[in-house]
Amino acid sequence: MQTPLRIDPAKALGDIATFQRKLAAGMNNLRGMREPEYANTPRELVYSEDKLKVWHFKGHGKPTSKTPLLIVYALVNTVWMTDLQADRSMVRNLLEQGEDVYLIDWGYPDGADRWLTLDDYINGYLDRCVDAVRQRHDLDAINLLGICQGGAFSLCYTALHPEKVKNLITMVTPVDFQTPDNMLSHWCRGMDVDLFVDTLGNIPAGLMNYVYLTLKPLRLNQQKYIGLVDILDNPAELENFLRMERWIFDSPDQAGEAFRQFIKDFYQGNKLVKGTLEIGGRPVDLGMITQPVLNVFAEQDHLVPPDASRALGKHVGTTDYTQLAFRGGHIGIYVSGRAQREVPPAIHQWLRARS
Amino acid sequence: MADPASDFLKDYQTLAQQSWEAWTRQFQPPAANPFAPPQASAGNDTLERTLSGLKGYFDWMQGALAGNTASAGPDWRQQLQQMFDGAGQPFVQAFGGIDSAGAEGFMRQWQDWIQAVRNGGFGDLPGSHGPTPGFGLDREKQMQQQALAGAMLAAMQATARYQELIQRANAEGVQILQAKLAEPGRKVESLKALYDLWVDASEEAYAAIALSDEFRQVYGEMIDSQMRVRQLQQQQTEEWCRQLGMPTRSEVSSLGERLQALRREVRAGGVAGGAGQADEVQALRREVAALKRQLAASVPGPVATKPVAAKPATPRKAAAKKAAPARKAAKATKAVKTTASRPAPRKRK
Repeated sequence: MQTPLRIDPAKALGDIATFQRKLAAGMNNLRGMREPEYANTPRELVYSEDKLKVWHFKGHGKPTSKTPLLIVYALVNTVWMTDLQADRSMVRNLLEQGEDVYLIDWGYPDGADRWLTLDDYINGYLDRCVDAVRQRHDLDAINLLGICQGGAFSLCYTALHPEKVKNLITMVTPVDFQTPDNMLSHWCRGMDVDLFVDTLGNIPAGLMNYVYLTLKPLRLNQQKYIGLVDILDNPAELENFLRMERWIFDSPDQAGEAFRQFIKDFYQGNKLVKGTLEIGGRPVDLGMITQPVLNVFAEQDHLVPPDASRALGKHVGTTDYTQLAFRGGHIGIYVSGRAQREVPPAIHQWLRARS
Repeated sequence: MADPASDFLKDYQTLAQQSWEAWTRQFQPPAANPFAPPQASAGNDTLERTLSGLKGYFDWMQGALAGNTASAGPDWRQQLQQMFDGAGQPFVQAFGGIDSAGAEGFMRQWQDWIQAVRNGGFGDLPGSHGPTPGFGLDREKQMQQQALAGAMLAAMQATARYQELIQRANAEGVQILQAKLAEPGRKVESLKALYDLWVDASEEAYAAIALSDEFRQVYGEMIDSQMRVRQLQQQQTEEWCRQLGMPTRSEVSSLGERLQALRREVRAGGVAGGAGQADEVQALRREVAALKRQLAASVPGPVATKPVAAKPATPRKAAAKKAAPARKAAKATKAVKTTASRPAPRKRK
């Protein structure tokens, strides 16, 4: 058989030389580069408690939507993925569509937060955040937009406090935690989470990042940085890369008890879809969710496989269920160019039809 | 006889290696303070990760070129095997990079620990050559050291099993790469294209192994065994702290647990208190409504009762009303009568 390797030695030498040259020039660009800022869309603090903060965003004009939208992010990583940079900001795009946007920044847990449970997060913090927004607008119910683990929290919250949620949107939210392609779930199910939390207390962010990197070790730890060499001479692209890098690794530790419960009940027990989940001693029945639900998921999501999200349709009690598949990954759904064009307008139109 | 092409490649490789080392030196932190504790990661994390990833790629490119990949003949499969299966191959470097960047290097921590024990005059870890009964005043300490040595050994074995699976993923990745290259019409014309194809193949092989039952079991055992080591280390550290009169992790954690329980109780009390007040207001409303009905039945003609109903009772008043319902009922009746004798305010509800 003829060799499929048709690499011209001279060209290969040239490639290496080019790589070296780009790297040498680029390293000088990297040196002294400032930490890239997030988008920092204008906002005001409307509620705070312990380490969490609820921010209200200010758009150019007055919101046309009468019902505010509260974004509930995951406890892993930070909520600023939704407002990463001016031209890649879901928050900005929602404001431009006319939505009145709030979000919860959970903050960075430390030893004082070691014993926070899911009950504390969902029936405590989240409920008080929702109340704060409801009171500001003198409304019985507001719209919730839950992202990833925050989506799972929003589902639990809506099932437990249905009177306070008008419309529910979930984005890249795991519902069935045991689909065959869910690598995280597969790994979690082999470990002793009690031993893990009892030993570590809060779960260090570095350890969480390590696990995420090992989901695709070569792509995320090597190939990505080889691609970086090609943009080292482009300050704008380099800044975008570094901003994303900052977001990926600027992540909070996980409060130990909440982590223990989340792994046990959601990943190991898959109780959300089995109907056996309890938060604070109260059963969580997804069938209690009778308000309109929009479920947005990413078709190439390696953290939350599409089937894990799609399962929601089978379990919610609402007759008004909409599913939106986005062509992209877990992060691209917020920051890609297509996401900017497709996702916020779809959310706004869906909400407007139910205002 | 010397091969000029081969010499040139060797010279080029040396030069390239030197220039790489020169760049990386630029970004090294200043000379380490010999008295400072070792750091898991120093300086700019992004740069370290970048350099780590790039180094693997750079080494691989050089190796590929030196291995005459370009002129690969019918034995190209063999050459691929050599390119991607060596000790310095990029798969291992990718994993090594992740470990140093984020996992806080369990192994390194243990080595530090063992070194500290040796420096402390303990020699080899007791029990590292098998369990031995402990005696005398230091019996507990001896047993703890043995338990720690046993746990470390178990963790190292579990980690070795994990590494075997990683190596298997690498080997299977090369096989998948060979299969991809053997597809009809497939042509690879640059090192970068070959590398990208290898990444696809390796991730495919890794994903299949990572989703296997064997991997789940090995991965779980690796984590659990590392946690056991940490727990035993914590136990010993706590004992040292107690001897020095310092607060321990367990004590702080216990305080945190109690504090959080107390906060829950306070909040629950507040909520229950609020609910209690609401019940009381409801009871008062019912009482007022009953009085109105009673009044309407006893007084002929239209009665303006709204002003009375509109006066919200403060919690203190409401409590007083509840305490003495008969006296309050009499006063309310009087108030209604008084109001009835006046014209009702027009705009008040």
